[in-house]
Amino acid sequence: MNEKEKLYQERFKRYTTALDCGKPDKVPVVLPLGEWVVKYTDTTLQEAYYYVNKATEIIAGVVGDLDFDAMFGALNLWWPPMHEALGCKQYRFPGFYFEANEGFQYNEEEYMTADDYDDFIANPTKWLTEKYLPRINEEFAEPGSYRASVALVKGAAAFAMHNANNAAAGQKLAQECGIVPAISGMTKAPFDTLGDALRGTKGILLDLRRRPDKVLAACEAIVPHNVAYGMITSAGDTSLPCFAPLHKGAYPFLRRDHWEKFYWPTWKAVIENLWATGKRTLFYAEGDWTPYLDKIAELPDKSIVFCIDLTDAKKAKEFLGGRFCLYGGVPTTMLTYGTPQEVKDCVKQAIDELGSDGGFVLTAGGVAMSDAKRENIVAMLEAAREYGVY
Amino acid sequence: MTKEALAKAMAELEEEQVIELVKGLLGGGTAPLEIVKALQDGMVEVGNRFETGDYFLSELVMAGEIMKGAMDILEPHLSGEGAEHKGTIVIGTVKGDIHDLGKNIVVMLLKGAGYNVVDLGVDVPKEKFVEAVKNTGASLVGMSVLLTSCQGALKDTIEALRAEGLNSKVVIGGNYINETVKKHVGADYFAITASDGLKAAAEVFGG
Repeated sequence: MNEKEKLYQERFKRYTTALDCGKPDKVPVVLPLGEWVVKYTDTTLQEAYYYVNKATEIIAGVVGDLDFDAMFGALNLWWPPMHEALGCKQYRFPGFYFEANEGFQYNEEEYMTADDYDDFIANPTKWLTEKYLPRINEEFAEPGSYRASVALVKGAAAFAMHNANNAAAGQKLAQECGIVPAISGMTKAPFDTLGDALRGTKGILLDLRRRPDKVLAACEAIVPHNVAYGMITSAGDTSLPCFAPLHKGAYPFLRRDHWEKFYWPTWKAVIENLWATGKRTLFYAEGDWTPYLDKIAELPDKSIVFCIDLTDAKKAKEFLGGRFCLYGGVPTTMLTYGTPQEVKDCVKQAIDELGSDGGFVLTAGGVAMSDAKRENIVAMLEAAREYGVY
Repeated sequence: MTKEALAKAMAELEEEQVIELVKGLLGGGTAPLEIVKALQDGMVEVGNRFETGDYFLSELVMAGEIMKGAMDILEPHLSGEGAEHKGTIVIGTVKGDIHDLGKNIVVMLLKGAGYNVVDLGVDVPKEKFVEAVKNTGASLVGMSVLLTSCQGALKDTIEALRAEGLNSKVVIGGNYINETVKKHVGADYFAITASDGLKAAAEVFGG
């Protein structure tokens, strides 16, 4: 075992011990990777999005010498050429719609109409293939046509290429820098799948009153898909948690009774089904989830890692501490607008409040975007090492 | 069938009842502007309930949709009637950001409260804000942002307004906005919720 492999094993053990609510030798700290790393190079975001090898070089250059345990996030969450091969209408990437140095964004529409509910509920996969894909991809407008078939081949090839590139990049970072990935695989809450990608935020919020039974039935139909998606995207790995970016369950989207009825039961079912196979979920609760902590506490012990963004940290500790690993502690705005000293103070407070008895991972409470400052991220990692020794 | 009943149905988000009452009042000869006023009263109550924590985002979105349905019926009858308003507000989501949910809710509540709102949409370049303020003479400009990485555009837009000698008050709004951001970009007010935006308007226009 060479030095980097040894380092990898040591960090992996520290990180996974905390995920399992244990007390490692130090508080594990996770580097929030994001578009911010590009700012410190002469590369544009557009180049970093399109050239995966270049992105990996940038990451290795920025993070190579820093001391942290695991890395979360990606520089380029999506590889634009795949979407371009399909004529995807949902994503806008730097360099085309936006300037070369602006991050990608999602273009939300009602891609599924209210009239689609019954077909969707009867057979979600069939509906997605026959109706949804042609709507979100210009090249699929006429399924089965020459144009659509070529686009399908190109898109599938690009998807495979990107997965292979990503796997190689992960391996390079693990072998050359001893970096542990913070997560494996991805899933979502069924209500978010329906609200983000299909009905749109406005669509689903109106549906709660106009066709509540359809919303419930659709969310139930999505449960097995989101369980399978989590396992497939993590290639069966159960050592690391499955990433679950959560959106419309945050306060104040839904009234408590709506949250309990529409958001929670099916999301709980996805988490419990994954946990039954040994797969833990990174409950990525961006925003404020304070009003729902008592319900989240009903989950099986250790089945989630709870991410604290704007949620009241003391209450999170009170409701979830000991039974679930807590994750976060540094607000993303602090990484953008704070000074290194403020970040340091924040880290100290987070470790005192949340990490005193183990089961805590220190990191940013949300996705660090292009505006995060490197000196603040370095200060966060250094302070974690300074204050985080048990 | 009264205007009070309409305001109440609006506040309670009774969609079918609102539409029925609007049609009934119109048919019975009530002035369209008075009907709008009743709807606005209901909308103010919706805002109050959000403020007190009884209503959430989903209720605000529903209220906006009901209002839109009612206005679709009323608008053909409103032409020619000079609607009075409390003042003009220019609003938009700043350049680089295409999120509009928060902005649309504020627009709905401001209209409901009786302001003339000029909505520039999303991904609005600073030049467009400048032009709209010059054209309308708006005393208040609302700039919406969700992405923290687009907060720089707030600063650029405010600087562009000031460079043109425009002294309209500026309220910035968004979930990740706070006092630090407000100071950093040089805004006059900041708003995390739609009701914060209403309060800023009330201060600028005196209620």
